[in-house]
Amino acid sequence: MSIVLVGLNHRTAPVEMRERLAFSEEACAQSLPRLVDGETIREGLIFSTCNRVEVLTATERLTASDAASRIGDFLSQTRNVSPDLLRPHLYVHADEQAVRHVFRVACSLDSMVVGEPQILGQVRRAYALAVEAGTAGRVLHRLLHHAFHTAKRVRTETGIGAAAISISYTAVELGRKIFGSLAHRAVLLIGAGEMAELALRHLVKAGASRILVANRTVQRAQQLAAQFGGEAIADERLTEALSQADVVICSTGAERYVVTPEMAHQAKALRRNQPLFIIDISVPRNVDPRVGELDDVFLFDIDDLEAVIESNIREREREAQRAELIVDAEVMRFQQRLRDLDFGPTVGALKQRLIEMAREEYQKRRARLGQLTPEQEKAVEALLMATVNKISHPIIHRLRRSYETGDHDNVQAWRDVFGLEDEPELGKEFDE
Amino acid sequence: MKTLLLVALSAYIVAAIHAVLSFINRRRALERVAHAALAVGFGFHTTALAVDWLRDRIYPLFHRSETLSFLGWALVLFYAFVFRRYRTHALGSFMLPLVALLVLAASVMQADGRAMPQLLATGEAAWLFPIHTTSLFLAYAAFFVVFIASVMYLLQERELKLKHFGMVFHRLPSLATVDEISAVATSIGFTCLTLGIIAGMSWSFARDGRAWRNDPKEVLTALTWLLYLLLLGQRYAAGWRGRRAAWIGLAGFTLVLCTFFGARLMGGYHVFG
Repeated sequence: MSIVLVGLNHRTAPVEMRERLAFSEEACAQSLPRLVDGETIREGLIFSTCNRVEVLTATERLTASDAASRIGDFLSQTRNVSPDLLRPHLYVHADEQAVRHVFRVACSLDSMVVGEPQILGQVRRAYALAVEAGTAGRVLHRLLHHAFHTAKRVRTETGIGAAAISISYTAVELGRKIFGSLAHRAVLLIGAGEMAELALRHLVKAGASRILVANRTVQRAQQLAAQFGGEAIADERLTEALSQADVVICSTGAERYVVTPEMAHQAKALRRNQPLFIIDISVPRNVDPRVGELDDVFLFDIDDLEAVIESNIREREREAQRAELIVDAEVMRFQQRLRDLDFGPTVGALKQRLIEMAREEYQKRRARLGQLTPEQEKAVEALLMATVNKISHPIIHRLRRSYETGDHDNVQAWRDVFGLEDEPELGKEFDE
Repeated sequence: MKTLLLVALSAYIVAAIHAVLSFINRRRALERVAHAALAVGFGFHTTALAVDWLRDRIYPLFHRSETLSFLGWALVLFYAFVFRRYRTHALGSFMLPLVALLVLAASVMQADGRAMPQLLATGEAAWLFPIHTTSLFLAYAAFFVVFIASVMYLLQERELKLKHFGMVFHRLPSLATVDEISAVATSIGFTCLTLGIIAGMSWSFARDGRAWRNDPKEVLTALTWLLYLLLLGQRYAAGWRGRRAAWIGLAGFTLVLCTFFGARLMGGYHVFG
């Protein structure tokens, strides 16, 4: 058994590549069964946010590099990107490295802004999707739950999330640069995602007073608008809303440009050329990049924000270092538990197999023994069990050593010798 | 009085150095030193101008040295006004060195002939002449503020568009603030310019019945006036602001410089000193 993770993130791939790779929730649900064949790739999870697309798998009888190339093929096929284009952006992590990566992602140590809290919710959602699709098994259950546990520890034991947060913070800072003060400014939300809501919260705290919300599902728009004392906007009134807004936060799941240069131009004329600050945090991007070429329109997509945010990351680095120590400890604990997890069932299956063999042979020869007293029956049974134990003892000893040193080949060799096939399903034991 | 001007100059130099340092180090204490020195310099400078006026009974705004000195004085006045109103910490580091430079030039050049003013001071409608010159130099100072604000706007606008923030970015006032400074200064400058032109034309008309002489300086000033009229008009009517207004602010100031220095080279009625 190996854990293999293949993916790309904001550091390895530009937004153009990430938006091509991004999986919507529906796409996740459809693609997961294609990824997991049950034979070699036994479990799978797709984690897709605006900053990263990662495929996490538990594999069997597959080297890490074979698994990685299969996952790479999966990505290029489902997302329709040529492998040659894709490969330079991908990173591969296996086993302990993969575990560490997942933990670091969940703890927001690998995020664009270290310490931003949204990522944990996104990981949870990706896990839920994998569970729904039936592609999360005993390894991923355990891995993800341990990741959540680690993230919780990091959040409570370090100050990593104490300072102002990511995109939202940057939005406020840039808004102040453009408008001087955000007091009495109007904010338009296009798409009512979690991230957008958070940014809005910060802008309101900074003084923004008029809130407009446009969303595909009207109820959600109304709900959010009500929450902030704002106004829900119908899609066809978007241009008008643009003309009334000073700050626009765009984060829909749409796969096209929601704000076009024509709309922005019109809105600009309507608002008498007052500056317009547009933040496009959606991937794929929802605001046509040409909008940013208009005079006094300041468009920041997710990559642009990264540049601004870099300095903030440095400020958080110290706290992050403490978080890394926690992650280190948790990775070790997890590896140990994973070994136990693998070891127990294997030993159980091995003994089961030996006992079966012994009973089979005994049944075949039983008739020749003639009539036996209950005491004799018991003695024979004890003899068989003792023999099985005697035989299995050195094997178990070797197996334990193989697990502890991570020698999966040796484990596999023993399993093959005794024809051990499926491991018992242990998914239910996780309720962490 | 030369001594008074030299004291003012020293104070201005101290102010300029501290303003620049406070801009670089972002230390408010340095800025307070700059402002204290500026107040002292302004006091001496004002006294120097008043003493000159009272002693010679001639309004001290005719010779080149006098115009430079007055321009420096007007800039300090505007700086004080803008700072009080907008608390823009960066402006001093741009304006005060220029003030020091202008006053330095004025004090170096001060010993020149004083033949012309007697003629001007005694002729027909002589009271209009000081209004003409004062208004125009106040206008020039205001347009310099517009220029500085426009540069600040364009620098930051560029950085925002390129998404690359340099050292200057975190030290300059917000776009909205510099745009507003520019708008207010444009209005003040335009008002002064108009007043100066009207005074000049009336004065000329009263003396020899000619309001307009097609003098290069007059033509350039008319162009400048039209340009700022366009800028103001479009600001109010069409909501021009930001980048476009900033570029016009730059163009306008270029015209002002041409009027101030260039007209000399082309000759004509408005050649002095």
